[in-house]
Formats: sequence, C-alpha cells, structure tokens
Amino acid sequence: MFLHYLDLSWRSFKRTPLVSFLMVLAIAIGIGVTMTSLSVYHMMSADPIPEKSSQLYSVQLQIMDDGSTWWTKDNLPLQLTYQDAVNLNKADAGGKRVTMVRTGFSVYLDSDKIKPFIGQARLTTPDFFDMFNLSFLYGGVWSEQQEANAAPVVVISKELNDKLFAGENSIGKIIYLDDASYEVVGVIDDWDITTKYYDLNNGSFNKTEQLFLPFSLMKARQLENWGNTNGWKHEKTNTFNDKLNSELVWLQFWVELKTPEEKQAYQDFLMAYMQEQQKLGRFNRKQLEAKLRDVNEWMQYNNVVSEDNEILVGLSFMFLAVCLANILGLLLAKFLRRASEVGVRRALGASKRQIFYQHIVEVAMLGFLGGILGIILAQVGLLGVRQSYSYYKSLATMDLSMLLSAPVIAISTCVIAGLYPAWLVCKTNPAIYLKSQ
Amino acid sequence: MLKMNNINKVYQTEMVQTHALRDFNLQVDEGEFIAVTGPSGSGKTTFLNIAGMLEPFNEGQYLLDGIDVGKLNDNQRADLRNQKIGFIFQGFNLIPDLNLYENIEVPLRYRGIKAAERKRRIEQCLEQVGLASRAKHLPQQLSGGQQQRVAIARALAGEPRFLLADEPTGNLDSLMARQVMELLEQINRDGATIVMVTHDPELARRAPRNIQVVDGQLADLTLYQGTQNLKAAGV
Repeated sequence: MFLHYLDLSWRSFKRTPLVSFLMVLAIAIGIGVTMTSLSVYHMMSADPIPEKSSQLYSVQLQIMDDGSTWWTKDNLPLQLTYQDAVNLNKADAGGKRVTMVRTGFSVYLDSDKIKPFIGQARLTTPDFFDMFNLSFLYGGVWSEQQEANAAPVVVISKELNDKLFAGENSIGKIIYLDDASYEVVGVIDDWDITTKYYDLNNGSFNKTEQLFLPFSLMKARQLENWGNTNGWKHEKTNTFNDKLNSELVWLQFWVELKTPEEKQAYQDFLMAYMQEQQKLGRFNRKQLEAKLRDVNEWMQYNNVVSEDNEILVGLSFMFLAVCLANILGLLLAKFLRRASEVGVRRALGASKRQIFYQHIVEVAMLGFLGGILGIILAQVGLLGVRQSYSYYKSLATMDLSMLLSAPVIAISTCVIAGLYPAWLVCKTNPAIYLKSQ
Repeated sequence: MLKMNNINKVYQTEMVQTHALRDFNLQVDEGEFIAVTGPSGSGKTTFLNIAGMLEPFNEGQYLLDGIDVGKLNDNQRADLRNQKIGFIFQGFNLIPDLNLYENIEVPLRYRGIKAAERKRRIEQCLEQVGLASRAKHLPQQLSGGQQQRVAIARALAGEPRFLLADEPTGNLDSLMARQVMELLEQINRDGATIVMVTHDPELARRAPRNIQVVDGQLADLTLYQGTQNLKAAGV
C-alpha cells in the first residue's frame, strides 16, 4: 500500500503543481536556513578526536593564593606555569604527556624562490604527535635525546612541505626560522580538525600550526610565546628567566590516561605534587585543587560553541516552524478540497486509518522533496558563509550525518505539520460528500 | 441478510433536532431486489447510508449477515463494508484522476487483493459492463451512462453480496437508465441482493419488492400508492 500511497501522492502533486511547489519551496527554505546554522553548530561541537577524546585530559592547577580570583566559572586558570608544566612533564606519573606553547617564526629557505613569510609554530614535547593521532608522510618525530639537547630540528605540515619543497620528501633539508637553521625530521599528513581543542586560547577554530619544534628550544633560544600569558599577582618579569620562574600561566599541558583508575591515580599525583610545592612556599591556600578535563569537557568548559550559536540554531528552528505553519494552512486547504474523494474511498472500504496514512505519506513526500531542495539551499548558504568568513572555512560544511539528517528533519517536521490536516480529512463524514458530489 | 430493528437517527443542530429515521424496521433477505421510494427528505438516503455503514445511528440494532454493526469499530466497519457491500451513486462518484481500471481497482486495493487477481477481476467486470476497451480512459472521457456502468463495475469487482444503489439512474436519460436497470437486474439474477433508492416509479415497479419511507418510517405500500393514485386523479 505504501507504494500505492506514494503514487497517489505524486498524482496529487501533479494535480495542484503550484500549491505543491509552494509547499516544497517553503519547506526547502526552512530546511535550508536550519541546516546551514545546524551544520555550523554541528561542526563546532563535533568531537575532534572521537577515538580517544575520553582518554586525553587537559590539566589545570589552582595556583592562586587564597583571595585571588580568575574569570573562569570554577576560578581555575586555563594554563600552567612553566615550572609546573616542566615538573609534571618530568615526573614519572601518567601516560603520554605533552607540554606545549604556541610561537611563530619568519620562515624562509636558502633560495630566492620562496619569499619569507610568517609561519605559525608549536613548541612541544615529542608525545604530541602520538597523543593527538597525527600521522607522518615522511620521517617522524624528533628523539628524546634531541628534545633534551634542544636540537634544531623541525616537523612541518604537509601544506608547508608542498609550499617549500613541492611536496617532495624533505627529510634532512634545512629551513630557516628567524635567523636560525633547522633540519626537517618529519612531515605530517593533513591534520583536519574542526576545533583546535589542544589550545583554545587564540581562536578555537583557527588552523593548526605548520611547524612543530622541540619544547626545550624555548628555554635554550628564549623563544617568545605567541599565545596568551596571564598572571594573578604582581611579579617582576624583566628577563626571560624571570618569566620561567614566575607564576604567570602560558603553557598547555595534556596527559593521556586510558582508564578511570589511571585518571584517579594521576589526580592523586597532582594533589601530592601541589602539597609538595606548598612546602616550597607556593599555593598559599587552604584548599588545593587540580582538575582533569577530557577533550569534550574541555571544549564545553571553554565555551567553544558560544551561546550566540545556540541562539542562532534556535532561531533557525523557529523560522522552520513559521514555514511549517504556512504549510499547515496550505495542507488544510488542499486536503479539505479532497474531502469528496475521501468520501468515495471511505464508501469503497477505506478505513479512517488508511485515509490518514495516505495523507501522511503525501506530506512525507512533500517533506522529502523539500528536504532535498533544502540541502541544495543549505549548500548555497554554507558557501556564502565560507566566502564571507575564512574563519568558518572548515566549519561551514555539511558532513554525511547532517546530509542524511536534513531529509529526516524535513520529513518528520512536515509529518508533524500534516497530522492535523490528515486527521481532519480522515474524520470527515463520507455520507455528506457522496450525495453532493 | 440485513435486519434493522427500531433504528433511530437524529440530526442535531444548535437550533433544530431532525428525526431522519424513527423506529425504522426492515428485513432484507438474501437475493432480494428492493426498490425504496418516498418523498424528498423522507429518510431514504439516511437509511441507505446507515445500511452501508457510512453513518452511525443513535438507537436500535442493525444486523448485517448476523453481525451487530453497532458493536464494530471504524476499522471493522470498513472491512465489512469493503467485503460485503457495493455502492452505486447517482453522481457516479468516480475519482477523476484515475482511469477506469484504477477506479475499479480502488476497493480491491483496500481489501489487499494481489495484483494478478485484481487484474482478472477488473477485466472481467469491465467486460461485464461492456467497457473492456476503455480501461485506460479517464471518467471525463465517457458519457454519463458509461460512467455509471464503470461505477457498477467498481461495485461488482469486490464481488459483494449486497449492492446499495442511490438513484443510480437519476442523472441518465431514459435509454441509458433502462440499460443500467437491465444490468442491475442481471446482477440480481446472478445472486446479489440489491437495495435501490429511486424516485422513478417505472424503475420501482420493475423491482420485485417495493418499500416506501415516509417521515423516517416504513409506510404501508398500498396506502402510499393509493394516495399517489388519488393525487394523480386530481382528488
């Protein structure tokens, strides 16, 4: 019967093409707007590393003395001091761990073919690549020894390798960062993450870095932090060493903990570490506090998806509701005009339920057609967003789940809008129409 | 076949209460051909609608083939209607978007009959009403008489034991009316029970049994005919 109902729906569409097209268009516009905002929201809030997001933890320590406050909702600083980051990295606790900071260089080659340009860089300990599931096209990560010795080595992105070396194997080649030479030891493959979850300080949706260097280079070459540096008390930081020994927070620290037991053990370790530091004169406070947040918790804590985006999605659904209200009116008119035919069908043996299903199938078909057209409109909308703001380039896209959910949303919302007209037409008294037809 | 005991049907509006049927009693046996006559507004069509389970009644008991219709829900009534009853209307009531084949197919689909069996029955019914060559025509491409024959074919396709006809010749000229009547008589001879509402005394006379509905009740046939004769004589 379903196919028969589909056939009847299509005939009904053709019988009143203008009204039917207007309904499909109204659904399509509603779905187009909704899917545009929903797709961006979906990409913003999507888990950037689903295979291990619950095993990677950002570490926060409450370093402030009693009486000081931070702007976060739980009063915890978002980053770590240099001394804490280094100590935690050296300690024999937890699984893989990464200490890192954002920096940047003027990049050039010993050649006049490439103009110098500013390259975004990350100073990081070697576990970074394995922890965040990066794969190498050529070479690999620097060794522990190179890390310890602050060796002038660099891992570059595929994009940078394409730009500097035309995509060829560049292992062993030299690039210049500011005035120093660095040997390329690895080239990572494309790293397409929608949210730069590992460092949310300078734009949650910015591109990942092009250059990755040993963290130890920072101290050895006194490299500048290009990210955020925050403090909570007055300190003299006239020299680079002052900064390293200060209570300024400017480093990100992540640890991989595979089980709840490992997490608990690391939590205990952090508390023990803080108590030890307290004895050295730091953390002048009654209540010590350390926090571990996994990737999704971290994104939520940092309000990666702002309230504005949520309001925008809500508004777009309200717009869809307005479109559906119009469709409801058109459906009422269309269905009630058909009451006499329904009367005949009822007389010929159709139950109210069968009449109801027939009309719901018709509404669902309109929803499906509207959903398909809506996807096309949403693609146009997303293209517009991408072209207007480069910031949204990787976010204003529709992935497979959104592509599939568009017709589902269209059909289900249309069916909801069609319930009342379908119910109304199925409960009409056939006897009235049989005589008057 | 059909038994109505003290059926009452009241149409209620805010201002007026109209008794369409009042203590209506009727028994129709298997294989009968009954003509129902009566003045306009007497309740003939209401009786036919209740007989066809298209309208509920307020009081009384209606048994169709021994089944108490008043105790059935909508789905059960629809099934029973689909399996036992065929309708023929004055206005034909063919669905304009469907060709003749598809129009006749409608009740068969609701009964869940397989496509091959549907095809066999439709072709047989179209043959029976003499329209086999017009299967792909739309209703509006046919004359009134042809459309009514299609409606009869549609009623017959479900092989109903009970045919309800509401002024089946009302929209036809006398020649076509006669052809349709002959067709109904043939169907009755083949075993179907027919109840036909008509205003046409000539058609009513051709039915073996006549009943009249006056003011929502069955009236005495002889008395009614006598009154009509007196009116005709100008008394």
